[in-house]
Amino acid sequence: MSGSAKSRNEVRLASSIPKGSATLESILCTDELQRRPSRPPDHAKENAAIVALASALAESRHTILETLADTILQVTDADSSGLSLLTADGATPDPKGERFYWPAIRGIWKEHVGGGTPRNFGPCGDVLDRDCTLLFRHFERRYPYLLPVSPAAVECLLVPFYVGGKAVGTIWAMMHSDRRGFDAEDHRLMNTLGRFASLAYQTLATIDDLKSEINAREKAERSLRELTDGLEMQVRTRTEELSLIIETIPGLVWCAAPDGELNYLNQRILNYTGTSPAEWAHDGWTRFLHPDDAEPAAHAWSRAVATGQPHDIQCRIRRSDGVYRWFRVLGQSARDSAGGVARWYGFLIDIDDRKNMEEALRSSQAQLSRAIQTATVGEFAAAIAHEINQPLTAVIANGQACLRWLAAEPPGIAKAQEAAERIVRDGKEAGQVVQRTRALFKHAAIDRIELDLNGVIGEVLHLLNGETARRGVTVETDLAENLAHVAGDRLQLQQLIFNLLLNAIEAMDPVPHGLRKLFICSKQPSPENVLVEMRDCGTGIKDPDRIFEAFFTTKENGMGMGLAICRSIIDAHRGQLWAASGEGPGTTFSFTLPIQARSS
Amino acid sequence: MNSDSPIVFVVDDDHRVREALSSLISSAGLRVAVFSSAAEFLESKRPDAPACLVLDLQLPGISGLELQQQLSAGDTPPIVFISGHGDIPSSVRAIKAGAVEFLPKPFDDQELLRAIDAAIDQDRTERQKRTELAELQSRYNLLTRREREVLPFVVAGYANKLTAADLGIAEITIGVHRGQIMRKMAAKSLADLVRMADRLGIARTAGAA
Repeated sequence: MSGSAKSRNEVRLASSIPKGSATLESILCTDELQRRPSRPPDHAKENAAIVALASALAESRHTILETLADTILQVTDADSSGLSLLTADGATPDPKGERFYWPAIRGIWKEHVGGGTPRNFGPCGDVLDRDCTLLFRHFERRYPYLLPVSPAAVECLLVPFYVGGKAVGTIWAMMHSDRRGFDAEDHRLMNTLGRFASLAYQTLATIDDLKSEINAREKAERSLRELTDGLEMQVRTRTEELSLIIETIPGLVWCAAPDGELNYLNQRILNYTGTSPAEWAHDGWTRFLHPDDAEPAAHAWSRAVATGQPHDIQCRIRRSDGVYRWFRVLGQSARDSAGGVARWYGFLIDIDDRKNMEEALRSSQAQLSRAIQTATVGEFAAAIAHEINQPLTAVIANGQACLRWLAAEPPGIAKAQEAAERIVRDGKEAGQVVQRTRALFKHAAIDRIELDLNGVIGEVLHLLNGETARRGVTVETDLAENLAHVAGDRLQLQQLIFNLLLNAIEAMDPVPHGLRKLFICSKQPSPENVLVEMRDCGTGIKDPDRIFEAFFTTKENGMGMGLAICRSIIDAHRGQLWAASGEGPGTTFSFTLPIQARSS
Repeated sequence: MNSDSPIVFVVDDDHRVREALSSLISSAGLRVAVFSSAAEFLESKRPDAPACLVLDLQLPGISGLELQQQLSAGDTPPIVFISGHGDIPSSVRAIKAGAVEFLPKPFDDQELLRAIDAAIDQDRTERQKRTELAELQSRYNLLTRREREVLPFVVAGYANKLTAADLGIAEITIGVHRGQIMRKMAAKSLADLVRMADRLGIARTAGAA
């Protein structure tokens, strides 16, 4: 339907409705249909037409209205035929529309396709109002806007058709001459075709609905696809990122199934161990652990798997070159929505350097104490010499500077005086060094405070923890409760006990591991004294009386100062120290210290 | 004392020694600056004057020997080492690495001041040499590329004719270049120019007649 036809018809509709034109009754001759002699029905032709119409409906829906108009023209032998449909916009069918338009016309009026008539003033409106077939004669007499539509309709047979009980349009056949008039047979044929029109209309509507439904669905599918594509892309990117992170972070990452079976190891773990994931499966991982660590580690892991508690152990793992390094193994379970373990995530932290540092620290602590104990006289002298040499250098340089200032012309009295003051100051410092040195050998005044000897023993044992562990020495203590306090210098008494215990520990070096036992007890044998005994299981000593002399030693690399220092400390505290080789193996060192008199 | 007068840097971690040396050295009319560590010395902005570094061997952090090593790369003042432990290996190393003197503590003022004087003299000479070399270098920089090409032939004693043949240019042009070189380098004679070239490390063209 062309735009020009539409606008042409609209102009007519708007401007050509005159008042006082012919009445409806005067243009109707519907009764004629019954009165006129009816031609016999041509069933073969009718069937062929209906079959053509039905197959058109099934095969080429978009031309169904044209086919319908063709069929009407054919079976009624009319001059023109067509359809009128209610429309709101003049172009698409709409049962609520206020106008009729002509979507399809065949025959002489063919060129008027796209035109139409108003709902409330026109032949189609009359047919719908009366809800029956009407035969018009020269309807332009009542509807002058049809006057210019030529050739004029001498007779026009209009049949309403319905969809869902509502009239939505008409089909019509038209004669432009008196060649022949419509009869009852035409009426019957038109009614049959009216039902087809209804079916066609419904089909078209359904197709439109389907089309828009399909469009909507396609649109939804498209956005869904875009969404899933986006999500997929995000998931892929995120997964790639994650695996990149896991492979890149300088950590060794692993994952395991809820049953404890390892199912992921990052490349760094595999690189470190020089292994493939398959070798780790089915508890294979224990083979990469230090033999001493494999069993405890497997045990700890099965416990974690059983309880779901965080896994945290330390063990040695073999590097690809066969070297074992200490690792801290951490595992954390991830829970599913039901609270069960869904997966284990974990990583390994290389703590080897830290472990070694701790070990070195422990050993240097022990070495430090031993160094104090066994420092050679030569080293000691060198240290003291340096202590004195520095202020001495300053004293001499200041003295010479002082002399030079005095000899200058004019004399630099103020400078000389400053130098002389520094001489006095530095000289005094050198003197103090000498005094301190003397105090080391001649236990001068000691800093006495009230002390719990059990506490001192505890401190020293703590200091020696590393040493006893390394040498496999078991320590037993039997310390008296509420031991009376003694008056003493904490550092000196620590040194005393440290020396004695270290001696005892070293004395057991020749003894097999399982037999290295150290026994310490404290008691209060009298109201005046506290007694501490330390018994080792070593080889014993031959000269219990001589061992406290300076420079007496039974050790190959000892200087014989340790026990001499012990004796001087005990002497300074007015106690007693002795050693005894008992009946069994080993030596017992004992010392007593006077009890601090309770102040009232 | 003006800014050109010699200066003695003292690096020792013992404040008593620093104070004493500061007084002693300034009593000899020398400028003194003291530092408690090698790092402090390295960070300091030192005046442009003949100098000497009195350096303690045992320093916390960067030791005296390490500082000596670090300084050896640049224009460093000569070093007089002082040490509380006069151990032989260290002193040998220090002297081998160019130290002027190695004095065990305590030391005599005469010894120290003599060593400092010697060190400052040495530095003065070095500085003079450096200045002269810099002057020579700046004169050399005035030469054109062609003149620099000609110079090795001149100092190697090539006749202009031979030089011209070798460089593929006219003999008369060589004469002009030669005159320019003598003028720009402010050489009084050919011997003078040869000496300058030696100091600049310019190789004479091989196969000189």
